[in-house]
Amino acid sequence: MAEEGQVIACHTVEVWKEQLEKEKESKKLIVVDFTASWCPPCRFIAPILAEFAKKMPHVTFLKVDVDELTTVAEEWEVEAMPTFIFLKEGKLVDKVIGAKKEELQQSIEKHAVVAAA
Amino acid sequence: MAVSGFEGFEKRLELHFFGDDPVMNMDNMGLRLLDFDSLVKVLNAVQCTVVSAVGNQYFDAYVLSESSLFVYPTKIIIKTCGTTQLLKSIPPLLHYACNLGLTLCSCKYTRGSFIFPKSQPFPHTSFKEEVIYIEDKLPPNLCYRKATVMPSKMTSHSWHVFTASDQANLISDAYTVEVCMTELDRVLARKFFQPAGDGKTGDVAGKEMTKLTGIGEINPGSIICDFAFDPCGYSMNGIDNDRYSTIHVTPEDGFSYASYECVGSIFDDPCDLAHALKKVVQVFRPATLSIATTCTSREVWTSVGHALEPLGLKCRSFAVDEFPAAGSVVFQTFTARRK
Repeated sequence: MAEEGQVIACHTVEVWKEQLEKEKESKKLIVVDFTASWCPPCRFIAPILAEFAKKMPHVTFLKVDVDELTTVAEEWEVEAMPTFIFLKEGKLVDKVIGAKKEELQQSIEKHAVVAAA
Repeated sequence: MAVSGFEGFEKRLELHFFGDDPVMNMDNMGLRLLDFDSLVKVLNAVQCTVVSAVGNQYFDAYVLSESSLFVYPTKIIIKTCGTTQLLKSIPPLLHYACNLGLTLCSCKYTRGSFIFPKSQPFPHTSFKEEVIYIEDKLPPNLCYRKATVMPSKMTSHSWHVFTASDQANLISDAYTVEVCMTELDRVLARKFFQPAGDGKTGDVAGKEMTKLTGIGEINPGSIICDFAFDPCGYSMNGIDNDRYSTIHVTPEDGFSYASYECVGSIFDDPCDLAHALKKVVQVFRPATLSIATTCTSREVWTSVGHALEPLGLKCRSFAVDEFPAAGSVVFQTFTARRK
């Protein structure tokens, strides 16, 4: 089971689908970090994302390696790394391309607030 | 003109490497394997920091506190403005590259004329000093060297070029275009100021500026990383497959400056470059602008001139010089016709 306050790595399509299904019901905001092991900009943002996950247990943070889950990356049209997609009830509500700490934080806060209201 | 202000004119360094393994395969990440801490150390030496970053399958693009950095498997381009000490990046970069099994094969350093040359720290106090410093740091295998100051009719615009290579000739279809604009239109420049106390962060404000100013339409196909500085100023990197483009703006009156740089291939449709340059001029409406193209083909600089003349810019000077393994550098200056 996934732990709160952590970025959950989805190594298989099954785990990925399972996570999406779970949160579809809870209406929780999901932030997915599309990353690659070889991508230095991804390493720049990884500790920042981990910090966000710790501070925001009301948001689910997932991590997808684009080389591991190529079909998922294609489905969400990921062309550059890191790409963050914001999902609510299975629908795309926002997208941030690039390791941009502040934009990421603001987008998370924006969508997480609506969920709480 | 202000006694002193922010130096918009960037210094630009491009280093090319080759690997121990002569066949660079897809897995060969080369310089992109440089860990982030090492990159930070290089940038510390230059005195700037990473603001945002993005990568694709070809390269990584970083927006810096002072301009930009691009890292390809065998090529690195650093461009920094203000009073940064760009050339101090050479020794640590060569060291880290060596650890990755990469050897330097060519180096190119270019810049315009500083608006505030007296504010520049060592080794950027003069072009002569810069060349002495670079020559001292380069390995002896880069034996084909040349340093030139390409003039224009204005003392405020000249183009400084230093190249070094381990071979005399290089066949390449790539070109680089470096545009420097001064005396920006005041109304347009104001769009690069953040309204006081609106609480927007750099990324978000930057995104708005990209949209508001028309910068987003210059290369519509590219992914953009943008950032607005507080209280004013703007930087962006655009990435489009293996190509980058980059814009940096210092909008303050008295020393306003904006730069645009892009890369391409001589096999591209020349209309694409002409279109991009037209858009750039429309975003800033500078009174003066210089364009330096580095290329093996004439097509590139002729399309540059044709693009700008209809926008009311007149070509005031033209200089061309050949550099070993870098090709021809063409330096043109334009000024707005009197209104």
